[in-house]
Amino acid sequence: MTFFRFMPELDPVNGLLTLQRELERAWQRPFAGPWTASGHGVFPPVNVFNDPDGYVVRVEVPGVAPDQLKVEGHGRTLTISGTRTAEAPQGGSFHRRERSAGEFARALQLPEDLDVTRTEASYKHGMLTIRVPKREEAKPRQISVKAA
Amino acid sequence: MTEKELSVREKQEASAQEGTRAGHTYLPDVDIYETADSMYLWADMPGVDENTLNIGLEDGVLTIEGQVALKDYERLAPVYSEYKVGNYERRFTVSRDVDADRIAARLTNGVLALELPKAERAKPRQIKITQN
Repeated sequence: MTFFRFMPELDPVNGLLTLQRELERAWQRPFAGPWTASGHGVFPPVNVFNDPDGYVVRVEVPGVAPDQLKVEGHGRTLTISGTRTAEAPQGGSFHRRERSAGEFARALQLPEDLDVTRTEASYKHGMLTIRVPKREEAKPRQISVKAA
Repeated sequence: MTEKELSVREKQEASAQEGTRAGHTYLPDVDIYETADSMYLWADMPGVDENTLNIGLEDGVLTIEGQVALKDYERLAPVYSEYKVGNYERRFTVSRDVDADRIAARLTNGVLALELPKAERAKPRQIKITQN
């Protein structure tokens, strides 16, 4: 279990660097608990986080309009698919092409203790955020310590 | 499916010239396109707060920069990571033909789209060849 939780207000100077170091430790971990993300290196890249309520999956999908994006759940599988367009006016030529365009689809396997029926997805600034809360019984319970 | 999959490259660090803020800065992927009238540039900057976007043209160097919205990561603990999170910066030497006063910029779906119109005198002209 991780002890780190990102609190930018507590660390205004080094906040970003601290987050980057923690992400480095999670870099492409092959057996990150129950998470299995097929095909890393394939668009779109995902970062998986947890927060007190459950899991948060953030996906970089720049250049994909929200109506071109589809998030589907089948049992424990979450599928993210869509089309990325690269528009260009007529009558010119490319000097550089670093951004790929086309259709994409990725599937993620979710861990057991999540309530997939309450999955929520939101989109802002080219980032897709998918929140999957833990089932009530899987949430941590406080156990009071009685003085003997 | 057997069609070619879109691939993703790991983000590269922006150059050795350090900025004053702590934290790694990465180069956004760009497409650059040219027509007779303008240069166009599209840069992938997902997660950037538009209030931090800065575009400058000075001495023939175009600079694009933006900061990631850190608030979006509050209370999150990384479990598995495939992409790096950080601020973006990239510089390009552009032709002096670009008319700096008419540069147009728009941020849509995390992509910065720039149009850099060329000054009138720089547009290609066809020179007619007359036969005598």
